[in-house]
Amino acid sequence: MANYSHPEVLVETDWVKQNLHKPGIRLVEIDVDTKSYDAGHIPGAVGFNWQTQLQDQVRRDIISKEAFEKLLGDAGISPDHTVILYGDNNNWFAAYGFWLFKIYGHKDVRLMNGGRIKWLNESDKELTAERPKIVPTQYRASGPDLSLRALLPEVLRRQPGQTCNLVDVRSPDEFTGKVIAPPGMTETAQRGGHIPGAKSVPWSTAVGSDGTFKSADELQKIYFQEKGVDPMKDTVAYCRIGERSSHTWFVLKYLLGLNNVKNYDGSWTEYGSIVGAPIEKN
Amino acid sequence: MNHQTKVYESIFEMLPSEENPTPLVRLSKLNPRAEFPLYAKLEWMNPFGSVKDRAAWALLRDLESRGELGNGRGLVEPTSGNTGISLAAMARARGHRLLAVVPNKVPLEKKVLLKIAGADLEVVSDELCPAPGLGDGSINLAKTHAKASAKKYAMPNQYENTKNWEAHYETTGPEIWRQTEGKITHLFVTLGTCGTVTGTAKFLREKMPEVKVIAIQPTEGHDVPGLRNVSQLGVSKLFDASLVDDILEVDFQLAYTRAMDLCQNEGLLAGPSSGLVFSGALEIVARDRQGFGVMIFPDNIFKYTSNMIKHIPGLDSGTQP
Repeated sequence: MANYSHPEVLVETDWVKQNLHKPGIRLVEIDVDTKSYDAGHIPGAVGFNWQTQLQDQVRRDIISKEAFEKLLGDAGISPDHTVILYGDNNNWFAAYGFWLFKIYGHKDVRLMNGGRIKWLNESDKELTAERPKIVPTQYRASGPDLSLRALLPEVLRRQPGQTCNLVDVRSPDEFTGKVIAPPGMTETAQRGGHIPGAKSVPWSTAVGSDGTFKSADELQKIYFQEKGVDPMKDTVAYCRIGERSSHTWFVLKYLLGLNNVKNYDGSWTEYGSIVGAPIEKN
Repeated sequence: MNHQTKVYESIFEMLPSEENPTPLVRLSKLNPRAEFPLYAKLEWMNPFGSVKDRAAWALLRDLESRGELGNGRGLVEPTSGNTGISLAAMARARGHRLLAVVPNKVPLEKKVLLKIAGADLEVVSDELCPAPGLGDGSINLAKTHAKASAKKYAMPNQYENTKNWEAHYETTGPEIWRQTEGKITHLFVTLGTCGTVTGTAKFLREKMPEVKVIAIQPTEGHDVPGLRNVSQLGVSKLFDASLVDDILEVDFQLAYTRAMDLCQNEGLLAGPSSGLVFSGALEIVARDRQGFGVMIFPDNIFKYTSNMIKHIPGLDSGTQP
């Protein structure tokens, strides 16, 4: 598939249609606004709400291992299932889910290229408002694999450009500090701008007009040649709350095959509120 | 039905046609050139209050005539404004329900208006950081309902359904041709679903190929309800660039100040999209110097008091004791 380093983690909508009802396959739609799932989803898919089911509801953190095990068990997923993730907002939240599945060691998790928009706009693809019948499982997770996640101390310690690539995937106006967050967003920060040394590569640079990923050749040209991401160095991706950066984390780690890529899920809402942290604008 | 006495057996008999056109009113004070008269076509004189009556009626009749409605099946449509109001009121009067899918950023007063007109409302979260060309949350949610619950919902789809522009080809175009006695040289319109520009321009061009069609768009980042900048036109499948001579980009702030000018100098209680059209028309009057212009004024000012307060400094001063 388009010469990606790990083509096995990406499936096309046609593949999903053909494999929909096979016993080892489970589908999960991950949305920020689960109205979309409620209105219609791929037959057999369960729906996860990113805000309430993938985030710890007390402290700011990913859900615990126990909560992850309960979530997947209640969804009828076993560790040996092939799990296909897709979702709204061009798969940002599905990509975050993919990152979480990998943190907790799920072996075979894949992203549906183009997300729910692509499926919706294809006339031969069905949607249903009926919820699937679930047989719960006892899911046992491994991990967490924290090599996939950057926390604030690491971000503050790193020297972007010298020891690692720092990729800011937000919109240009967020990067320059013209706005702190996209209009109307409630999660914000005290200051606008970006982490010094970060390269601005908005998440949408990685997708074409139908929301599917660009080819490996195109992606290499964008990230390595045009934006100066050094494939030999470690890389940290960040955005505002860690969901758009999951999308770019997926691109860099699995489509381009970079060795050490981390998602900084604290992102700008954390960094932009730290007293004394250095900030660049423009 | 008698358009002379204006006595009607049903509100639908009032819908516009060549025999019952919406009025054309000449601007008398704000147009500096007598050699280039400008006429405003007052679309708010339509029975449900805006230019959208034309498309809404055509879309609804099309679904009815194909037997797509009834037996528990209503309509679903992504709409935050005039189409929703027209469609909801028409649908309810004919015994159907409309689910209007609305972006959250739409002001409360508009959401409430939709409910008053009889729509059921579903509000979707706003797009967070959309990629260009990938559609809009409310359009996609409406499409999802239509696809997943086809027994419950039919979707007129004003952005793609050719009945939208055909309505203007059959009514707006012929009305203008007859009202101006073929003298029109310039048509001024805004862009939204693009049904108005495509249908009206197509008809007028067939009558007189040299008619100039000027589309006026607000600058990017605008908040003029119902309009689209060219960068947002990807969602409409009805835009036909071959029918448009010029696309003028006008500072969106002028939509509000020109609307105010029209209200206070011409007695035309025109809304912001009309203000934008007028602003573009003045540029062409200065450029071409001679002609006979018709401006489509989509709706009046009454729905836009909060937008006006935001854009006209001091408008809300003196409104408290």
